[in-house]
Amino acid sequence: MEQIDLLHTLPAAFNGQTQIVSDVWHRELVFRKGEAYLLEAASGTGKSSLCSYLYGYRNDYEGIICFDGRNIRKLGMREWTALRNTSLSLLFQELRLFPELSAQENVELKNRLTGYKTRRQIEACFERLGIADKLHVAVGRISFGQQQRVAFIRALCQPFDFIILDEPVSHLDERHAGAMAALLQEELAERGAGVIVTSIGRHLPLDYTKILYL
Amino acid sequence: MNILWRLLRQHVSMAQLSGFFLAGLTGTVIILFGLQFYLDVSPLLRGQDGLFKREYLILSKPVSTLGSLLGSKGTFGEKEIKALGTQPFVHQVGCFTSSAYRVSASLGMEGTGIHVGTDMFFESVPDEYLDVASEHWHYEEGSRVIPIILPRNYLNLYNFGFAQSRNLPKLSEGLLSMVHLNIRLSGNGRADRYEGRIVGFSNRLNTILVPEAFMKWSNAYYASADKIEPSRLIVEVKNPADERIVKYLQAHSYETEGDDLEAGKAVWFLQMLVGIVLLIGIVITFLSFYVLVLSIFLLLQKNTKKMQTLLLLGYSPGKIALPYQLMVVVLNLGVTVLALVGVWCLKGICLSRLRDLFPMLQEGEALPVWLAGAGLFLFVSGINIWIIHRKLKQVWNGK
Repeated sequence: MEQIDLLHTLPAAFNGQTQIVSDVWHRELVFRKGEAYLLEAASGTGKSSLCSYLYGYRNDYEGIICFDGRNIRKLGMREWTALRNTSLSLLFQELRLFPELSAQENVELKNRLTGYKTRRQIEACFERLGIADKLHVAVGRISFGQQQRVAFIRALCQPFDFIILDEPVSHLDERHAGAMAALLQEELAERGAGVIVTSIGRHLPLDYTKILYL
Repeated sequence: MNILWRLLRQHVSMAQLSGFFLAGLTGTVIILFGLQFYLDVSPLLRGQDGLFKREYLILSKPVSTLGSLLGSKGTFGEKEIKALGTQPFVHQVGCFTSSAYRVSASLGMEGTGIHVGTDMFFESVPDEYLDVASEHWHYEEGSRVIPIILPRNYLNLYNFGFAQSRNLPKLSEGLLSMVHLNIRLSGNGRADRYEGRIVGFSNRLNTILVPEAFMKWSNAYYASADKIEPSRLIVEVKNPADERIVKYLQAHSYETEGDDLEAGKAVWFLQMLVGIVLLIGIVITFLSFYVLVLSIFLLLQKNTKKMQTLLLLGYSPGKIALPYQLMVVVLNLGVTVLALVGVWCLKGICLSRLRDLFPMLQEGEALPVWLAGAGLFLFVSGINIWIIHRKLKQVWNGK
C-alpha cells in the first residue's frame, strides 16, 4: 500500500457541527508510505476514531477513505485480515493485550501468525525497551507503561506499509520514549513504511514529515 | 500448549460438556440400538422361514344366516377383485376357481373287496400361490391322470383324530401319494373316468386342489360356459405388517382364514415399539445437541472480547473457530464411537437371550447401524461447525 487518502472524512458523531476547525476532518488529506505524521489533538476530537476507521473495525464516518484509491468500505473480511497481516499495524490506545498471558506469549500470539521475527529478535526488542525481566510475567501484573511497550513490540511483529500508534508514550518517561522512537526508526527504515502517531501531550520523538491538528 | 487454545478454552465448562456427552451418548445408544434390534428381530417376523409365514391372505365373505336365507351369493365380483388389486399393500390377487360339475371319487383296494366312494369337489388357484413343489403338478389335455393336492389338515385329522380313535393304521404322506383314486367327472351330458394322484399336501390352501389348466379345461367341457365368480381369493401382500390391510378388510367386511393378521399385528406392534424407542432416542439426542449448542453459545459469548481482539490482530474467523470446531468434533466422535461400542455389547447380550427362545435367529446386518452412527455424527458435527462459524462472523460484524 502506497498511500491513504481521506476525502472529506468526518466521524458520524460530529455530523451537524458547523464549526469544525481541523487539519484532518472534512478535508482532502494524503498519508504517504515512508513518511511520518503526528496527529495532535485534545481528547474527544476523534483521534481513536480515526485509528479505528483506518484499521477497519469501525465505519461510522462520512466521506471516503481510500487505500491506494480503493474505498475501504468495499473491503471484505478476508481483505481486512490480509491487510492486518501484511500492510497495516496498529498500537491500540487501550493496548488490547491478554492479561492472563505472559508478555512474551502476547507477542508470540501475533508473531506466530506472521512469522516475522525470530524469538531472539523479540527478546532483543524487550531488552532495548527495558522490559527483558518481564518477558515471562503475566501482562496483567505489570504496569501500564510496561504493557505499552509490550503492545508496541507486538505491533512490530509483522510486515507493514503503515503503522498507526495511538498515544504510544502516554505512560512512558522520556528515556523509554526515546528508546521506543529509536527502535521504531529502525523498523520503519527496514520496511520503508509510513507512521501515523497520535498524541494528546507528550510526543514520540521522531522526525515528522507533517504535524496535523485534529 | 498452543497459546491460542489456552486463550480460547477459558470458560469451557466441563460440567456442561460432560452433560452433553452423557446425554448425547444415551440418545445415540438408544437410537442405534433400537435400529440394531429392529434389524435383528424383524427377519424373524418377516422372513420366508420366520415365525409367521404370512405373505398370503385368503379372503372370503362372511356367511350369515340372513344372507343364506336371502340367497346372497357371497362371491367376489370382477370390480371388487380389481379394486383389491389396486390397493398399495397388494402384490397380486388370485382367484379360487371351483368345479362346476359333479365329482365323485372312490377308493378301491384290490383283493380286499373294500370300496369306498364319495361326492366331492375340486378347486384351483394359479400355480404361483402354491406352497407345494412337485414335479407331477401339471396337466396336459387328454391325460387321464389328475394331480391333486390335499390340505395337510385333512391328513392330520385322519391320523390324530380318526385313526387314533379306531385303532386304524396312521398314513404317511409318502404312503398316500401311492394311492390311486378313481375319479368320475360328470356334467353337460358327459361322464368320464380319471385317475387321481395325490402329489402333495398344502399348509396354506385349505381345499382340494387340481392344476388350474385342468380346471379350465374341465369346466369348459363338463359345465355350461357361464363364468363362475370366485367365493375365495388368495392375496399376496407386500408387507403383512401393513395396518392398511386390517382397515381395508374391516371396511369391506372381508374375512381371512386363520390368524394371519394376528401375526401381521405383531409385526406392526414391533414396528411401533421400535418407532417409539427411536423417537425417545431422537428426543434425547436432540436435547443433548441443544445443550451443546447452548454451551457453545455461552462459551463464545463469554469469549467475545478475546475473539474480537484476535480478529484485530489479524486472525481470520476460520482460524479462531477451528479450535472450537475441533473440540465439538472430538466430542461428537467420542459419543459416536462409544455409542457404537455400547450397541455392539448390548447386541451381544440381547442376541444370546433371544437365541434361547428362537434358536434360528440370525444376526441382523450391522452396516446400516454403522452408517446411521456415521450419519448422525456428520449431521450433528456439521451443524455445530456451521453454528460456530456463523457466531464468529457475528463477532466480526461487531454484533
